[in-house]
This record gives sequence, C-alpha cells and structure tokens, in this order.
Amino acid sequence: MSNRTLPRLLQTPAVLLLLIWMLIPLSMTLYFSFIRYVLNSLRRPEWTKPSISNWRGFGNYEFVLNNKDFILAIQNSLLIVCSILFFTVIFGILIAVLINKSFPGRGVVRVLLISPFFVMPAVNAVLWINMILDPVLGLQGLAVGGLNDAIEGLRNAPLVGGFFSLWPDFAPISFRATQTSAIAVIIMVTWQWTPFAVLIFMTSLQSEDQQQKEAAILDGAGAWSQFRFLTLPHLSRPIAIVVMIQAIFHLSLYAEIEIVSRGNGNKNLPYLIGEFANNNIGAASATGIFAVILANIVAFFLLRMIGKTLME
Amino acid sequence: MGRILLENVTKSFGDAQVIPPLDLVIDDGEFTVFVGPSGCGKSTLLRLIAGLEETSSGTITIDGLDVTQVPPSKRGLAMVFQSYALYPHMTVRKNIAFPMRMAGLSQAEQDKRVMTAAKSLNLVDYLDRKPGQLSGGQRQRVAIGRAIVRDPTAFLFDEPLSNLDAALRVGMRLEISEMHKRMQTTMIYVTHDQVEAMTMADKIVVLQAGVIEQVGSPLELYRSPCNLFVAGFIGSPKMNFITGTEAANRHAHTLGVRPEHIAVSTQTGAWTGRVSVSEHLGSDTFLHVHETGLADTLTVRTNGEISFKHGDIIHLTPREEMVHRFDAAGLRIS
Repeated sequence: MSNRTLPRLLQTPAVLLLLIWMLIPLSMTLYFSFIRYVLNSLRRPEWTKPSISNWRGFGNYEFVLNNKDFILAIQNSLLIVCSILFFTVIFGILIAVLINKSFPGRGVVRVLLISPFFVMPAVNAVLWINMILDPVLGLQGLAVGGLNDAIEGLRNAPLVGGFFSLWPDFAPISFRATQTSAIAVIIMVTWQWTPFAVLIFMTSLQSEDQQQKEAAILDGAGAWSQFRFLTLPHLSRPIAIVVMIQAIFHLSLYAEIEIVSRGNGNKNLPYLIGEFANNNIGAASATGIFAVILANIVAFFLLRMIGKTLME
Repeated sequence: MGRILLENVTKSFGDAQVIPPLDLVIDDGEFTVFVGPSGCGKSTLLRLIAGLEETSSGTITIDGLDVTQVPPSKRGLAMVFQSYALYPHMTVRKNIAFPMRMAGLSQAEQDKRVMTAAKSLNLVDYLDRKPGQLSGGQRQRVAIGRAIVRDPTAFLFDEPLSNLDAALRVGMRLEISEMHKRMQTTMIYVTHDQVEAMTMADKIVVLQAGVIEQVGSPLELYRSPCNLFVAGFIGSPKMNFITGTEAANRHAHTLGVRPEHIAVSTQTGAWTGRVSVSEHLGSDTFLHVHETGLADTLTVRTNGEISFKHGDIIHLTPREEMVHRFDAAGLRIS
C-alpha cells in the first residue's frame, strides 16, 4: 500500500457521505421532474408510484412554465431577495459604522442590536403582521390614527390651520393585500437579518488598520473619503459574504410568505413548489430545478457586481 | 521652508502626563532624529507635530504660523508610518496619487508627479501592482513616494525601517539620507535604534519618559553626553560605568568609559580582569571582562586580530582624556 492510499481510504467514508447527501436528493428531483408522479389520483392510479414508464419528458417543465403563477413567483423571489439584500447591507454598514465608535453602554447596545436575529422566522412574521403592520390593531394603525388626529387638531390652529386643512386624511395600509404583502415580507426579514449584516461588518471594522486612516487624514481625506476609499473597500469581502449567505437563505423564504398572505399574490418559488407538492410531485420537482438554476444565476451576478464596484 | 517650533508643549492621556512641558526648535532643512527607548514619548511627540494627537497645552509653530489647532491635513506635513499604511485596495499609482486626488489636482498634474516620484524611487515597473504584491522595501518606497508628491514643508518618519530586515535597513537608511541631501527639506525621524540616529541625523533629540535629555549633533552626543542616560544610550556597545573608589580617585561619582577607549595588554595596565566571552565580528572583537573589581562586566572593543580565550587574565588601560565623569545626580562634570 503506497503511503497515499491509506489517507484516501480513511477519507472515503466522509467524501462518500457528502456525495450521497448532495447527489441523491438532486438526482431524485431530476428524475421526478421528468416523470408523471402525483400523490393521489383516482383516475390514473398508476401515476401515484414513481416509475420510469410514466416518462413525461419536458412535460412537467412545460406545465410549470405555463402556470400563471410561475413568472410571478420568479419575479417575487427576485424582488424579495434583492430588496432584502439591498436594505440589510445598507443598514448593516450604517449601524456597524455608528456603533464602531466607543460610547457608554456600547456592549448593551450591541447585544440588543443582535437580538432580532434570535427570533424564530414564524414568530417574527406573526409579531410584525399582527402587532406592528396591522392597519387596525397594529402600531401602524395607531400611528396613522394619531397622525390624523394631530392634523385634525392643527386645522383649527391659527396661522398654520389653512396649510393643514389642505392635507388629506391618511389611510393605513393593509399589508395582507395582494399588492403590499411582498413589502411586508421585505420589512420583517430586513429587520431580522440586518443584525446578521451588522455582526459581520462590525467584526470586520474592528480589524481595520488605524494607521491607514491616519495616513488618509494626513493626505487630506475627509470623513466621507475615508469611508469611500478605505472602509468600503475593506468591507467588500464581508459584504460579499453577507450577500451570498443571505441570497441562499432568502431564496427559500417560506414561513413569512405563508403567515403574511398564504401566498396570495405573493408567491415565491419555494411557496409555489410547496403548492405543487400538495399533489403534483413532478411539477414541484421541475420547479425545484428552476429554483436551483435561478439561485446559481443570482449568486453569479451578485458576486460579480460586488467585485466590480468595490474593488479599485 | 520648514522651521518647527514647540513651546511648552504637554500631552496627557487622562491623568497620566506622558510629555511634561517641552521646548524644541527644529530648523529649516534639518534632519532631526528623536531617539529613546520604547515608551519614551518620541512617537507621541511626532504625532503631536503631525496633529494626529491634540496637545494638552502649549503651542506648535510651523514657519511662524501657530498650527496647534490646525487639522493635520492643513499643516503641510507628510508622514511615513512604521506599517507603511498603504491603501491595500489601490494600486501603487493610486496610492501615490491619493493625496493629490484629495487635494483636487488635475489628472495630468497627478500623472506627472507620480511619474517623477516613481522614477526617483525606482517604482516605475510596479505602478500597477497592489501593495500586497510588493516586498517590504518596495512598500516603504511607495510610502515615501506618497509623501514626496505632496511637496510637504516637512517629512515625518515614524520608525520607518523597523519592519525591514537588516540588509535592507542599511540600504533604505542611505536612500533616505540621500533624499534629504537632495531635497533639503526638514525631516523628523523617530527611531529607537541609536545607529540610525547616529548615521542619519543632523541633530539628535534624546528622549526619556517624555523629557528631552539632550539635543545635539551625533558627535556632540558621543563626545560629551550631558548625563548617564545619554551616555549609556548613544554608542554601541554601551559605555562602561564604573563607581566606587576608582571614580572617587578622579573626583566623580561615576566614571564612563567607552569600550573603544580602553587599551588591552597581556602584561601591564591600570586595571586587571578575566575574559569571559570574546565576540569576534571580524573587524572588531568585543571582550567581556569580569573580576575587575570595578563593575560587573567591562566591555572592551579591540581590533579583530586579537584573540583571548575564556579565563585569560587581561590588563586594561583607559584613555584618560576620553574618560567621562558624572556626579551623584548622574550629570556630567566637565
């Protein structure tokens, strides 16, 4: 036995396990996506067993592409993921830079800032949609009501009364509606995941070279130039990490969508897969393959974009 | 122009006063070296001049202008840091051009000055590399280039050579000295290495615990150190200090004799001792002599041909005119 065979033999079980772990689900999905396979059918009981004799070719893919919800689901997935990424990265950088300066109570503030990340997604969604965003019972309803009352009071005030009487009454927004439910999901997930971005950026900021900053100060760089030319490039790798990890997580958002609107006008790909999987496993698998392709495209473009804009 | 004046400058961090009131004049075109052991406040002093630390009291004047409250970028000084502090995401070209870009110079002017600096520092082939792809010496030159293009009234160097290996350090030392001779700009250089101080400086400022112990040219400090600290700090190997009757005979509390001012003989001499270690450097031999009854160890510097073994008896004679005398407070008796 050569001296490289033994280590390889010893590694084999782990490598095999990983391969199986990845390949079996993927190949099963691929297989199911090319056959007719449903969970329950009185008319065609032979379709309830996965079998190569039920071969459908690209029929499942065609069926999914022609489904009225499919394009919406892709658009929605992209809208939700990109918006969340955009806001979490922006808020994450702002907050991380803000709390990087030392001030009394910084430790407590940091712990508080991280805490949203420990809330379960479903709990997070229930809290936001019922207690904060609800147009009647939530904070939103109270705030809009209070604003309206304040404007009402000001209408009778001297001097400024004329100005305020031109203002309309504000109506609270229903975040369970078809048009707005995606926004609700974006808000609540942004709230939950901003701490993740803050955490990553904060640790990265602490490793920033202070002498570089001093050199930049002597070179005449103001606060903005220091941020733009030193801090932001320094953060480019952590930003890439945050974007990549979050893209993976948010392409598979499910709980929030289910709780906010039960997918009403607000499906994303996982939710569509879930709906198909109620009966039509073949179509669900085909959608799953589309999701894999979409995830790869998104990751590819996002990473290239970040690499280009931030690296000088 | 570049005459820097410090008057009654102090610096405290909280309750700790790291620099007690201090006065110093740095003349235009002078190469001044701040030297002292680590923690002596030399870097703090440099940062006060640069404006990176605020003075607790006192005034700093550059060319007659009070700059104590002026922000660092407006003082017209350029600094080279120990870690070089290059911007890692920018190419060498952009690094060097950065101060001009911040000052809003035209692209043509920027390119022109970058080329001039790169030529004088042998960096032309590396302009499109990132700092991470350069060697230590090249990074050091980029940092100097970034300082040069600003055409500053004075250069500040904060231990710029301490991250380089010994051979490179000697080379860079020469390059910086040559640069000073060519540009005739005021330079302030902080180091803990007395060799760098001796070889480069027009004027050495020896600091200890924030206090200036002595200011003078390298040879002044070598020939007539004003106290024990300066005597011990300047010169390598260290000066030998002798106390007791031998010192009292010469009406002093402590005698200082440099290793190179002691003559060696196998037959006769003023003092007798036993050789413990002899270090052969080729050109010189350093003998460490014990059992002299004068001090724990006397270090003697002789020519490289002499060879003594461990345990040899040796006779030593100091050159009387080169013996320094210090009083009980450690001050020089002239």
